[in-house]
Amino acid sequence: MPIIDQGYQHWSGRLTGHRWRWLAITRHGVKIAMRSYFLRYVLLAAWVPALVLVTTLSAWGLLERKSKMARTFIQFMQFMNPGVVADPRHYCGAVWRLAYGYFFHVELFFAMILILIVGPGLISRDLRVNALPLYFSRPLRRVDYFLGKLGVVVTFLGMVLIVPAVIAYIFGLLFSVDLTVVRDTFGLLIGAVAYGLLISVSAGMLILALSALGRNSRYVALLWLGLWFVSSVVSSVLTAVHHQQQRYVYHPPPTSSELMTRQGPKPLTMNDAAASTAKKSDVPVSRNWRALLSYTTNLSRVGAKLLGTNAAWKQISLLEPTASGRHRLLARFGGPWYPWYWSAIVLAGLLGLSLCVLNLSIRTLDRLK
Amino acid sequence: MSGNAASILFALEKVTKTYGAITALDELSVCVPPGAIGLLGPNGSGKTTMIRTLLGLIPANGGRARVLGMDVRRRQLDIRRLIGFVPEDECLFPGVAGVEFVAYAGELVGMPARDAMQRAHEVLDYVGLTEVRYRQVESYSAGMKQRLKLAAAIIHDPKLLILDEPTNGMDPAGRKDMLALAHDLAHHKNMSVLFSSHLLPDVEAVCDHIIVLGAGQLLVQGNIRELKAVHPGSFEVRLKEDGTSFSQQLTDLGCAVQRRGDMLLIQIPSGAAPAMLWQAAAAHQQQIRHLRSQRSTLEEVFLNAVERTSCQL
Repeated sequence: MPIIDQGYQHWSGRLTGHRWRWLAITRHGVKIAMRSYFLRYVLLAAWVPALVLVTTLSAWGLLERKSKMARTFIQFMQFMNPGVVADPRHYCGAVWRLAYGYFFHVELFFAMILILIVGPGLISRDLRVNALPLYFSRPLRRVDYFLGKLGVVVTFLGMVLIVPAVIAYIFGLLFSVDLTVVRDTFGLLIGAVAYGLLISVSAGMLILALSALGRNSRYVALLWLGLWFVSSVVSSVLTAVHHQQQRYVYHPPPTSSELMTRQGPKPLTMNDAAASTAKKSDVPVSRNWRALLSYTTNLSRVGAKLLGTNAAWKQISLLEPTASGRHRLLARFGGPWYPWYWSAIVLAGLLGLSLCVLNLSIRTLDRLK
Repeated sequence: MSGNAASILFALEKVTKTYGAITALDELSVCVPPGAIGLLGPNGSGKTTMIRTLLGLIPANGGRARVLGMDVRRRQLDIRRLIGFVPEDECLFPGVAGVEFVAYAGELVGMPARDAMQRAHEVLDYVGLTEVRYRQVESYSAGMKQRLKLAAAIIHDPKLLILDEPTNGMDPAGRKDMLALAHDLAHHKNMSVLFSSHLLPDVEAVCDHIIVLGAGQLLVQGNIRELKAVHPGSFEVRLKEDGTSFSQQLTDLGCAVQRRGDMLLIQIPSGAAPAMLWQAAAAHQQQIRHLRSQRSTLEEVFLNAVERTSCQL
C-alpha cells in the first residue's frame, strides 16, 4: 500500500503561548539526561548529605526536648562545644546555620560533578548535529533556548541543593519545641534557597557558555574540570604560600645568633599563622585576594554570607574561655574572611562573560553556511 | 505590494541581504500564490537565504517581506507557528526514538505534551515510519531521516511547508516516497509547499509554480505549464524505422531537423502545414509512431533563464 494512502488528519488543537515554551526544552533535556545510569547514581549519592542534614536538624529538635538519644548523637559532631549542647535552644540558629553550611559545602562538590555530567553536551551537541535550525525555525526566541537549557542544569542542581534544604527545614520545624524557631531561622531558609539558586544559575550559565564554545562535549567537560579543579588548586597553592609569608611577618626567621643558641621560634602551623594574623586585627586575613581565583571558593564565600555561617562561628567561639582559643577556632572553621562582595563581583563578572559568549556564539543562523 | 492577502502565500519587496561583501539577495521582489512552489537556482543564487528570510531567521538589510499576510520583521513567531520547515542538514538529536523526536518538535511549536505525542504517532503513520518509530534516530537510513524530518515539520499541521533539498542523498525508492508525500500534501492536504531543489524532475513532480533565482535576483517566475509553452511549427516525431531518407526529404523541403535519441525534432517552415510530415512519411513508406508539438522542458526553461543572466552580467 502506498504510504500516502495511510491518510493524514488535520490538527485543530490550540498552541500554547510563548511564555513557557522554554519548559519544553528543559523537560526534554531532563528526560534525556535521566537515562544515564551514572547520573542516577550520582543523584542518589548527592542525597546522602541531605539525609544527614535532615537527621541533624531533627536530632537538634529532640535535643531541645531533652531527649537522651539525641544528646548521644550530637556528641559525635566535631564542632560541638559542651556549652552549645547545654543550651540547645539558645544555639539553635547557629547550629542550623552551621549544619546548612556543611551541607552546602558537600553538595557543592556534587553540584560540580552533576554539571560535569549534564552540562557539556547541552549546546555543543546541538552545534555538532546542526540542530539549531530545528529550534529557531519554530516559534522560539534565543532567550527561550537559553532558558530551556539553563533549566536543565537548574533542575538537577535544585534537586540536590534547594529541595533537600527546604525539606530539611520543614523536618527541623516539625521536631522543634515550638514554632518560635521560625523567627530565628526563616532568614536561613531564604538564604539557603538563594544560595542554591546562586550556584545553579552561576554554574549553569558558565557551563552553557563553555558548551557554546565548541562542538565536542569532551573538550567542554575538560574546560569545566579546569575551571573547577585547576582554579581551586592554584588558589589553594597561592593561599598556602601567602600563609607561609604571613608566618615570617609575625615570626621572622631566626637570626644567626639565635640559630647558634638554638632558641629560634618554633615552627607554626597554618592555623597558628592565621590566628596570629587575627590577633593583629579584628578581621583575620582580611585582604587575601588569592582565594578569589577559585570558582568554588567564590561561591562558598557568598554562600557563607547568605547562610550566616561566619556569624554562627563567632557566636559559638564566645564559649571559648581565652581570646587565643576564640581566634584559633575562627581561623580553623570560620572560612575565608575577605569581603563577601569581592566574590560577588567575581561571580557577576563570570555571569556577564557567560552572557557575552552565549550572545556571540548562538546568533540564530545569520551567517553563510 | 498589492493584491489580496489570501491569494498571496508570500511576497518579498526589494529585499536585500548581504553577508559582508557578498550580496545574497539583491533587491529581490517576488509575489507567490498558494500552492506547490518550486524554488530553483544555481548554487549561491540565494535560495537558502530567501528561505531563512521568510522564516525570520535572518534580518534583511532592506526591503519588506510578508508571509501568510504577516510582516516578517514584526510577527516572526506567529509566522513560524504556521510554517513547517524541513532543513537540508541532517540535524537529528542522537539518543532519542523517532516518535520522541517528532513529539518534541511539536512541543517546541507549542503543542501540549500529550497532544504532541498522539499527533507524532499519526504523522509517523502518514510518512510510513510506523514500524520504526521506537528505534533510535541514528539507526535510520537517509530516506527515513528525511521522512522523520518531514513528520516533525507537519506535526502542527502548518499552512506552509518549506522543504530545503529534501531528496538530497536519497536512493530512488526513498526519493519516490518523499516526492509522493510532498505532492500529496500540496495537492490533497491543502498545504502550500515551497520546494527548494537542484533536481528539476523532482520540482516538476511536485510543483505547479516555480521561482528561479540567480545572483540573488528573480530570473523567472510562473506556472510550470505556462512556462513549458508549445513551440509553434516545432514537432517531436518518432518513426518505426530509421528515418534518414525521411529527414533528408524534410530538410530539402526547408525544415530544420535535429535528432535527439530516437526522436526527431522538426521545425517546419513558417506557413507550412503539419500535413507535410505525413506526406513525407508516406513518400518514404515510414510509419509515424509518435507525433506531437514540441514543448520546452523545465530544464530548458531553467538553463535559458540562467544563461540570460550570465550574458547580462
